[in-house]
Amino acid sequence: MTESLKALIEACRHGKADYQDLVDRVPYARFLGIELRVQGEELTFILPKNPDNIGNPTLPALHGGAVAGFMEQAAIIFILLEMGEPKVPKTIDFTIDYLRAGLFRDTFAECRITRLGRRIANVHISAWQKRREEPITIARAHFLLSEENN
Amino acid sequence: MTDSKIPYTRMDVCNRSLETVKHSRNLGMEVLSAEEEGVRVRLPWREDLVGNPDTGVLHGGAIFAMMDQAGGMANSCRLYPNFEITPTIDFRVDHLHAPTPGKAVICHAACYRLTEHVTFVRLTTWEEGKEDGEPVATGLATYTRMKIDKNGRVVS
Repeated sequence: MTESLKALIEACRHGKADYQDLVDRVPYARFLGIELRVQGEELTFILPKNPDNIGNPTLPALHGGAVAGFMEQAAIIFILLEMGEPKVPKTIDFTIDYLRAGLFRDTFAECRITRLGRRIANVHISAWQKRREEPITIARAHFLLSEENN
Repeated sequence: MTDSKIPYTRMDVCNRSLETVKHSRNLGMEVLSAEEEGVRVRLPWREDLVGNPDTGVLHGGAIFAMMDQAGGMANSCRLYPNFEITPTIDFRVDHLHAPTPGKAVICHAACYRLTEHVTFVRLTTWEEGKEDGEPVATGLATYTRMKIDKNGRVVS
């Protein structure tokens, strides 16, 4: 299985496979409907507006948990693509600030690796809807790049 | 105010919020108990909630979404019989160890401090059947209080 993941990432890097295949490999990412846009070497993750992800029907607003799950998965894929030896990272902790209501519209996310150590990756994730400069949520998370179970 | 005069229970309030929140319904969440001291909520293991297809372990995001919702319900239980909307300000989850694939998880959430504008919530999640043992995840969150009138409009 590790080999198939490694092969898929290599294929993505060389333009022989769609990055979306990497997303669709994860059942929960399909559950949320996560998409991925690649511009040059820049990755933007998309959570398309979907009634299934609504948390507040009156506003209507997205479920904070759906946005958080989207951001966590974005970070995991981002790390996979940044690492030389891809292993599915395990979330150690995930901390999110909700800055604005997530309206019922498309949500975008970008990731920045603050530090990629041998065992721990520290990632900052920002999600927005209208403008990148006006994030609806920001999160920071730590991931374990362990050998086991991979 | 005695509980007998209120036509709905804390359990009713929690179930009502689950009914209206589509995403939580989609996750298959279920309220097990709802008391002033807190709520217990169950998230089933399901194939479509898996994060790592090689291991079958639930995605951290699914666990997070369930815990965030449970925290909101803990607020409702503390604020009962009043209704308020409590958007999350910030939420931290620590994943202590991976739950066994195929096993549901149970979250206990309690609002341990209520101020005029903010609620403070602590959460612990165990694998089902191992609630006496080590938790799989712990969480700490703050929510802001938005009081609403009879028509559901925010008043402060």
